[in-house]
Amino acid sequence: MSWRRVVAVVAATVVPLAAQDARDRLAGRVPPSTLIVLDSILQDAAREGLPTEPLIQKALEGGAKGIDADRIVAAVGASATQLRSARALLASAGESRPGDPSEVTAVAAALSRGVSPQLVGRLTAVLPGEPTGPALHAVADLVGHGFPEDSSVDLMVEAARLGLRGLRFLDVAAAVVQQLQRGHSRSAALAEVRALLPHVPPPPRPAPTAVSHARRVAPTPARP
Amino acid sequence: MTHIDPQVHRVLDGELPADALTAAQREQLAALQRAAQVLSDLPRASVASRVMAEVRRPAPGVGRRLTHWLTERHTISISVRPVWSLALAAVLAAVAVIPGHEPAPVLGDQEGIAQFVGRFPGAKSVEVVGSFTDWQSGAIVLRDDNHDGIWRGTVVLPVGQHEYMFVVDGERWVADPLAGRYVDDGFGRENALLFVRPVAR
Repeated sequence: MSWRRVVAVVAATVVPLAAQDARDRLAGRVPPSTLIVLDSILQDAAREGLPTEPLIQKALEGGAKGIDADRIVAAVGASATQLRSARALLASAGESRPGDPSEVTAVAAALSRGVSPQLVGRLTAVLPGEPTGPALHAVADLVGHGFPEDSSVDLMVEAARLGLRGLRFLDVAAAVVQQLQRGHSRSAALAEVRALLPHVPPPPRPAPTAVSHARRVAPTPARP
Repeated sequence: MTHIDPQVHRVLDGELPADALTAAQREQLAALQRAAQVLSDLPRASVASRVMAEVRRPAPGVGRRLTHWLTERHTISISVRPVWSLALAAVLAAVAVIPGHEPAPVLGDQEGIAQFVGRFPGAKSVEVVGSFTDWQSGAIVLRDDNHDGIWRGTVVLPVGQHEYMFVVDGERWVADPLAGRYVDDGFGRENALLFVRPVAR
């Protein structure tokens, strides 16, 4: 049996099981009239190898917020399109694992925050084999505070070159915003933090009392 | 004290023969002689030797003394001012009524802590609903213990990216104003975006 046939057999087995699981989770949580269409969107996404959890979450969110059926279906469809775009960008940027669900989800969310698609390529080039989602969100954080996108991504590229990875990019953005809040101009804030790299301060760890008083949330399905 | 007849006394002292006594005196003499015999048959331990024997007897062990103390009746009297007894009663009642804290959670490698704080004066309830609760309400209810309008809650969440909103009074969806990071929810509003890091970094 060729590997293509094995994949087809596995997909033919797994996709219906995942679809049944999604139907079970959506039943009673979204308007009944949406179920058939949502099921179709989810099965298409699963067949394409896109993460389906963000789509299920979007449908559940719409149901919880009391959104009408048409808008729920539209939002889930738009989310599928964003995931598809994110995966295509990662693949075209040479990402070694363009289908990684958490990476696709993070990049899709960053794009929905207004980050330019071209940035995916720039950051993938300096972060080969590493998640680019946090760096994209860090750029989005800075753009949200009025920093130019080019300068923001330059800073993240420099941080990556000096060895920072993952959520540490968010610390870089936080340090820049802190400089801004201390009264520095945007260009001065960027320069101050660039001079600090890679030694930007991490966020404070939660106090032991906070940890000891933390409650566990009822178990939810694993995130993609 | 029994009175001894002088004639009997003289017989006992050997000054008179027993024949010189009357029948009653002879009965008294016989009783006295029997008593003397009984006393002479007793062991002749001195007071000092009996005291020393008591002193030399080994003391009972700790266990025996404890058992004795526990099983014997004791009279215990406690003198307490009424105000302290009332305070003690209040403390005991509070301990019985106030629910104890759950034991501190043991966090896994892929778990972190999220602290939610929101200012909602006058709100009757505030909860956090998001991707980590499958957008179901009731899982994360914030508390305003000081009644100052500041609602707080700390929870354990899986490491990674999450979206959420506050739900005030069970119906008003509000983006967390302190989140600093938002994403379009696709329904005309914005969800707060949260990145949870592992505590064991």
